[in-house]
Amino acid sequence: MRIGKSARLGLVAAFSATTLMLAACGGGADSGSGSTGSDGKVDGTGKTLNVLTGVISQHPEEQKKWFTDIAAKFKAETGANVNFETFASANDELTRIQTSVVSGQGPDVYSLGTTFTPTAYATKAFVTLTDDDWNKVGGKDRFNPAALGISGPDEKNQVGVPFVSRPFVMAYNKELLAAAGIDKPATTWDGLLDQAKKLTGNGVYGMVTGYKDNFDPWKFIWAMSVQAGDPIVDGDKAKLDDPAVKKAYETYFGWLTKDKVIDPNAVGWSNSNALAEFAAGHAAFFPMTTSNSIPTLENSAVAGKYAYAVMPTTPPGKTAPATDKPAASILSGDNVVVADYSKQKDLAFAYLKLITSKDEQLNYQKIFGDLPANAEALKSLDNPLLAPMADAAAQSAATPFTGAWGDIQLALTNVTVQSIPELSSGGVSDSALTDRLKDAQSKSQASLDRASKG
Amino acid sequence: MSSDASNELLVAAEAAATGASGPTNGGSGNRGAKRRGLSERNRPLWMLIPGGALMIIIIIVPLLLGIYIAGLDLDQYTLRKWISAPFIGVGNFVEALSHTPLLRSVWLSVSYSLLAMIVTLPLGIAAAVATQNAFKGRALVRSIFLIPYVLPSFVVATVWRTMLQPDGIVDKVLGTVGVHPGLWLNGPQSYWTLVLVQIWASWPFIYLLALAGLQAVDHEVHEASALDGALWWKKLRFVVFPYLKGPLSLAVLIGMLHHINNFTLPFVLFGVPAPSDVEVLPILTYVTSFQSFRFGLSAAMAFVSLVLIAIPLFVYLRAVRLDDGETPGGTK
Repeated sequence: MRIGKSARLGLVAAFSATTLMLAACGGGADSGSGSTGSDGKVDGTGKTLNVLTGVISQHPEEQKKWFTDIAAKFKAETGANVNFETFASANDELTRIQTSVVSGQGPDVYSLGTTFTPTAYATKAFVTLTDDDWNKVGGKDRFNPAALGISGPDEKNQVGVPFVSRPFVMAYNKELLAAAGIDKPATTWDGLLDQAKKLTGNGVYGMVTGYKDNFDPWKFIWAMSVQAGDPIVDGDKAKLDDPAVKKAYETYFGWLTKDKVIDPNAVGWSNSNALAEFAAGHAAFFPMTTSNSIPTLENSAVAGKYAYAVMPTTPPGKTAPATDKPAASILSGDNVVVADYSKQKDLAFAYLKLITSKDEQLNYQKIFGDLPANAEALKSLDNPLLAPMADAAAQSAATPFTGAWGDIQLALTNVTVQSIPELSSGGVSDSALTDRLKDAQSKSQASLDRASKG
Repeated sequence: MSSDASNELLVAAEAAATGASGPTNGGSGNRGAKRRGLSERNRPLWMLIPGGALMIIIIIVPLLLGIYIAGLDLDQYTLRKWISAPFIGVGNFVEALSHTPLLRSVWLSVSYSLLAMIVTLPLGIAAAVATQNAFKGRALVRSIFLIPYVLPSFVVATVWRTMLQPDGIVDKVLGTVGVHPGLWLNGPQSYWTLVLVQIWASWPFIYLLALAGLQAVDHEVHEASALDGALWWKKLRFVVFPYLKGPLSLAVLIGMLHHINNFTLPFVLFGVPAPSDVEVLPILTYVTSFQSFRFGLSAAMAFVSLVLIAIPLFVYLRAVRLDDGETPGGTK
């Protein structure tokens, strides 16, 4: 019994160790490298390419079908099989990446969220594409240039091949706006607030957002700060103590506490709760949503009555954009990376070429709603609902490309999390906010210091 | 969770068995002086090899690796060649103790576990005593009592989170009687939410072990105390409770460790980053490992907490002598 109990304790102590150990113990078969024929086509007969990608929980059946279709096309093209593996959560994904990174074996191709790309880059476990490699993927110019913004720290060092874009936009209720005599959403945050004030009343709130969401808060703060000219990270210096960041928090918190254009219950909501509120017709504006809200909204009380718009790009307190960098959204979507340890990189590049081709990208958009990263495909979209999203994709700005970004993101969100009790009881005092920002700044700086050493 | 649950059932069964054999003979754990000579010389110790080897692979090696990693400056930048990550000795330990909320997390973890235990213990015993004597529908009541225990932590936490949301069902019900409790899932009150949900989820464990202990009370004992004229409270206090000492000590021990190690409950209830009032040890270790990618630092944190928890645990184990068979639970 005694050992049994220490085992439970030991488990905590060896939490990360076990992951590493298992990876080290796991044996794996290497597969031969793909050979490139004289016609530039990769011959992968008899080989299998392993691809790790996220599960699309809204469309599980469609995703399975997509896997089968792509695998058949890839087989026709190269003769090789594709074996798809899926991960259910970001956490799951991380564990897979960590074990593969340590053990040097695992999937050949990974699908990553854009904001995770810097961390993946920091592990140096993925292929930095050479010009030659880019050609094998179909050429760098086939991609929407904005989508390449978070593929690597600079143009010469890029690991991520853009696959889809999921820019953040703002949904609005056309009916409510028309009833209040507003013809289109404002393009400044102050203007949006004025409109929201006008729209609040009769059981409807002008805006809706989830303060308890694990990601939304930092996206607002980041957007408003960058629009005001503070990039949050400047070289190896964190700039969370900049007045622009504080102003952003004051604006974001103020919507709820001062301006009262948001339901007080929003302190407990995540993004999906906020979406449900908007879908029920309880709010006029729903900033910080993406194209994957379409399926929900199409089957809701606001079906046919909603539209999307690019979020304001003029920072709070200003009447015109303060910089030439619009930052309508973070650069969001999926990148695909090839593992450095892969023995069949050419085959992997051939796969990337296939899935980023115009036709496949349009097909993917039709099924899953995500915008193409392929420039031609993006241009050819003619759905009016999607037009603002394509706009937002072009005006997206990349989050700082540093391995420290995970920590900074966490620090920014933490300011909101710790402020929620005060948000709920009337207002966040200036001194409390200053203290929290100071704490966030020092944590972010510490993380950046490690990044510059690493 | 499911393997956890079956483990505990095993433990419960084991405890019941020890309890049952306790008063009459020492059972398998007996190292009585009289039999020592023969039984110790010819014990087939080699039969421990498979189990021992497994324990070395599953417990000892990862533990040692964990300790080794605690001495490395291991993060996302060095992960790929982790063996050659710079060795910084006690650097991580110094940082964990001086620059992170580790000690506060230890305090939160231990205090919340203890509070939950203090409440669940009488609840569990009361439930066990109440369902000890046969009555119509007892099987049903006993099954219902186990529901919180068989539900996966994830489900329990999700349901409670939904109920405790601002303007959720709990607030609405309390609102009808004029109580406005404020936020459950953020701020200082979140600590009490964690205690409350933990109590709800874990009292059946105490109930289960108390029930096992009660089953071990021989029929003759009940008869004898009835003959002596003991009324229910005297009987409970001086005859029945001593039988429960063994199983319940075990329950307290395992229950506490469960609470301290419970990651799913706070993670699902409060999310990450967690409100600072519920940044318990597993959450802190998780965030350090998998959000900040400071594997070395988090291994050091985990090791510090292991030591901190092991000290009182060891003292307690010696005190109740759960680890040897000489003082079985039923001894009065």
